[in-house]
Amino acid sequence: MIDTLCDQAGDQNSTIAFFYFDFTVQKGQSPANTMGSLLKQVVGGLEEIPEEVSQTYQKQKKGGRGPQLSDIVKMLQTTSSKARTFICIDAIDECVPEYRVKLLDSLNKILQNSPGTRIFVTGRPHIRPEIEKRLLGRVTSLSINAERDDMIRYLESRLEEDTTPDAMDGILKAEILRKIPERISEMYVLWKQHLR
Amino acid sequence: MSQSFSHNVNSLNTNYTVNFTVADDRSNILAWLSPLDPSSRHQDIRDRRVEIVGEWLLQTEEFRNWQAGSGEDGSDNAVLFCSGNPGVGKTYIR
Repeated sequence: MIDTLCDQAGDQNSTIAFFYFDFTVQKGQSPANTMGSLLKQVVGGLEEIPEEVSQTYQKQKKGGRGPQLSDIVKMLQTTSSKARTFICIDAIDECVPEYRVKLLDSLNKILQNSPGTRIFVTGRPHIRPEIEKRLLGRVTSLSINAERDDMIRYLESRLEEDTTPDAMDGILKAEILRKIPERISEMYVLWKQHLR
Repeated sequence: MSQSFSHNVNSLNTNYTVNFTVADDRSNILAWLSPLDPSSRHQDIRDRRVEIVGEWLLQTEEFRNWQAGSGEDGSDNAVLFCSGNPGVGKTYIR
């Protein structure tokens, strides 16, 4: 996703920032650290550090602490309104719920100021109502299912990497490629019917 | 001759110091903004990703509208939320 946007960014004068949530390091992924990381990527891509950012740094560096969330949001509002900005956030369900409220609120503030900014978010389905509520009126939702084609491509690439290729003949390989996607789509159909 | 040589060295030194301070400030500011660096995780995902996985998503109308949208035609599609259960490949969309 990020690479696709990056490939296209060159001729569009746009900037991309991304973040991956991970429940194993949840505590360190505070709203200030997360939003700060996005700002760091946007600023890092500019030739010069914006005046607003270096002034905030000069004022706050003495305390030995990082920037406040409210300042980060202000700085992101300014920088993202100057160039088209894409923000990608992965696995938002792995973010601490209290942090997530602040994160979504911060993103909403950025969109209020620079509505051209594009935000791509992935997460498990149960998080969808929360996203739609916090970013009211701005969200388009799509659901991803493990598509058969993707699955076959994935299996093929894993079989290619097999360290003992002699253990598998063409027949076994064909059977693996046929049976696994079948089983999975059967499970998926059952699950869908169960929900109805 | 010797004088002009030493003058040149001095001016080189000055330039070097100025550039160094600016670069140093830049990295200090960036480090101050956040201690987190998601780029190593991105590289890890890139290495494990199978090309073309999730290509269908990039062809959907929802994705195209989101990508092309701008502030002028409303911020109503500024956020694209992709949901899926664990293991469907959300992270690996190219």
